[in-house]
Amino acid sequence: MAVPLVSVPEFGLRSTHSQAISVSATIEEEPSASQEFNVFQVYQRILENEEIATPLAAILALTELLDHSRAGTMFELVKELNGGAEVLKTRTSNSISLNAGCELFIAFVTLFPHESDSFSELKTELVKQGQQYAKEALTYRHKIAELALGFIKDDSVILTHSYSRVVIQALLLAHKQKRISVYVTEARPRGFGVKTYEILTAAGIPCAMVLDSAVAYVMDTVDFVLVGSEAVVESGGLINAVGSNQMAIIAKAANKPFYALAESYKFHRLFPLSQYDLPTHHPDILSFPKPAHRSSPALTARPSVHPSIAGHVSTATEELPTWKSGLLVKSPFQMSMTPEQISRNPSVDYTRPDLISLVFSDVGILTPEGVSQYLVGMFAG
Amino acid sequence: MASDIQNYANQRIVEVLASKLRRRQVVGSRNAAIETTLVLRQVVSKARFSNIDQLVDIIRSVGRRLVEAQPKEHTVGNTVRKVLHHIREEYHTAVEGTAAATKKEDFSISRFVSQGQPRKQNIPVPKSEERTTTLRENDPDDPDSFAKGLKPVLMEAIQDVLDELETVYDNVSKNARDHIHSDEIVLTIGHSKTVEAFLKSAAHYRNYTVIVAESSPSYSGHEMARSLSSSNISTFLVPDSSIYALMSRVNKVILGAHAILANGGMFALTGSLLAASAAHAHSTPVVVCAGQFKLTPLWNLYHEYGALDFSDPSSVLGFEEGDLVDKVDVINPYFDYVRPELVDVYITNDGDHPPSSVYRLIKESYDDDDHEL
Repeated sequence: MAVPLVSVPEFGLRSTHSQAISVSATIEEEPSASQEFNVFQVYQRILENEEIATPLAAILALTELLDHSRAGTMFELVKELNGGAEVLKTRTSNSISLNAGCELFIAFVTLFPHESDSFSELKTELVKQGQQYAKEALTYRHKIAELALGFIKDDSVILTHSYSRVVIQALLLAHKQKRISVYVTEARPRGFGVKTYEILTAAGIPCAMVLDSAVAYVMDTVDFVLVGSEAVVESGGLINAVGSNQMAIIAKAANKPFYALAESYKFHRLFPLSQYDLPTHHPDILSFPKPAHRSSPALTARPSVHPSIAGHVSTATEELPTWKSGLLVKSPFQMSMTPEQISRNPSVDYTRPDLISLVFSDVGILTPEGVSQYLVGMFAG
Repeated sequence: MASDIQNYANQRIVEVLASKLRRRQVVGSRNAAIETTLVLRQVVSKARFSNIDQLVDIIRSVGRRLVEAQPKEHTVGNTVRKVLHHIREEYHTAVEGTAAATKKEDFSISRFVSQGQPRKQNIPVPKSEERTTTLRENDPDDPDSFAKGLKPVLMEAIQDVLDELETVYDNVSKNARDHIHSDEIVLTIGHSKTVEAFLKSAAHYRNYTVIVAESSPSYSGHEMARSLSSSNISTFLVPDSSIYALMSRVNKVILGAHAILANGGMFALTGSLLAASAAHAHSTPVVVCAGQFKLTPLWNLYHEYGALDFSDPSSVLGFEEGDLVDKVDVINPYFDYVRPELVDVYITNDGDHPPSSVYRLIKESYDDDDHEL
């Protein structure tokens, strides 16, 4: 039997979990280092499953952390969970939805009514709850798709942004019963819209790709806009891939409904007052380059004329045809931003609640004002 | 199954109401609600069930039948949902004294999200009423014991619903004098009994003027004007076309509603959208008087064209104009859908609420499982 490094708690329970831990061999090393390594790796491993969203993966990773934890009291346990959550946050670039999942789980653990006599029983119970929730959560997308079905009329033209698994499920479900056509934006720079386009076309839905800059052009022909979400915040606003705010503003101007689909584990207790309040915002984003660097070639706005210069070749695969004296001539290059410039652009943006018509979630259809009710119920009072 | 046999016996009462609804012999949302409650009271008093789920199923099947008979009359469904909500509440209070342990086991993360933090269980002192009789569900020896124990409480609950319906007008007009000030000019359209009671109650305390739009082609405004002026309120009857023209002189627009939807919008008599839009353009407050039984937990009713409930087109363009009727499509919608942004406040028998908190009222009055009967 491995001797636990952590001192036995006052009520004299022996943590039998230490036997099951695979890291028992590394007990000689610092437990925190092995745990840290564990959590992020576990998180990444879970994320390899395409179906699982980041908040769910965070909850599962924290569940595993709990499983392997050798804490003897509630306080230590929560401290470990917080530590694990911190690690995950620092190692991921876009941590908003991850944050939502972590906070939900930690709040649940703290408030779980426990009358079990032994601490290890409590831990097993919590682990079981975490895994059960993850299993249940996989059905949420279907639930949301069914709710959205009532709002999709026959012959609807739908506009969507980038790649969202919830939206795709909703559209595929609607396609089985009604006729729909879908516009998908490219969602530069990562181009996830192409993924959506491929999936929808493979299912037989008439689909067309739209340039991010052509959203206003196409908005008049659209019946409504349907987007997924990274997180739904307390104000009732939406955090999603950059371009959603733009789409919402144009939809409002054209008087078209803007619907957001979000599973309940994406509800987050943030209250951003502007784009610059988001945790993903840092001073480098959309900042002007310092004068000393202006001459540096890396920041030139356009790549040089010869496509052969390395590092400036655009990633686009198509070539723009140009008209030259009445003949269609394919030009040898297409201009685009350098990767360095792209990194200075935001990856998510915040959409205000007054631009959103309804939020569809597994807890029901909510007006943006209704979202905070759930958050308050969970985290306050 | 026993419940089927029982249902058969109840069918008659339900059938009678269903055919009345289908033939539109029940006029007015409040009347429909009252009749539904009476039918449900009969059903529950005669029903035989050995556990709560059976009772819920019985009521649901009755509700479904009635809603199918007249889907545009939303108060029927609302009343059924309200009764179900009360029944579940009474059941939980009755059961809580006996079996408190069952609650804790099913606390999971998904529950945590939808219901919030676990409430502290205060089991200590069971009320000193007759909760001493334990309710045993599915008792094989005496299958009716559960029903017998629960029925008196259920009857009380249904009576509560009935009382609430009967006192709607009084409760809505309770604070009427706080909403209307002296020498104000109020605009209303058509003939809504709730608005009528509201205005008459305010007239006891204040001196003000009412402009009633006649709302063709039903001309129900004429009735309203007649009734108001007989209570010594100075009334003007105007054609619908002058609503916008007069709006700059109007201090308040008071409308009635047919049904209030979950997003805060409402279905109201045709012409209400016109009045509400005109008021919006002039920044005039729009106040809607409606009983809480009109709150409907449905979301997308306004998407369907048929939701407007069309009535007789001959009052718009009769057959006297023979050749025109051939070449023209005449429709006479009975209701308008008014967006939540156009309404400022709903005055209900349970207080005043802005459209943005309608979702909360619905959450409190109905159970989530009952949205689809």
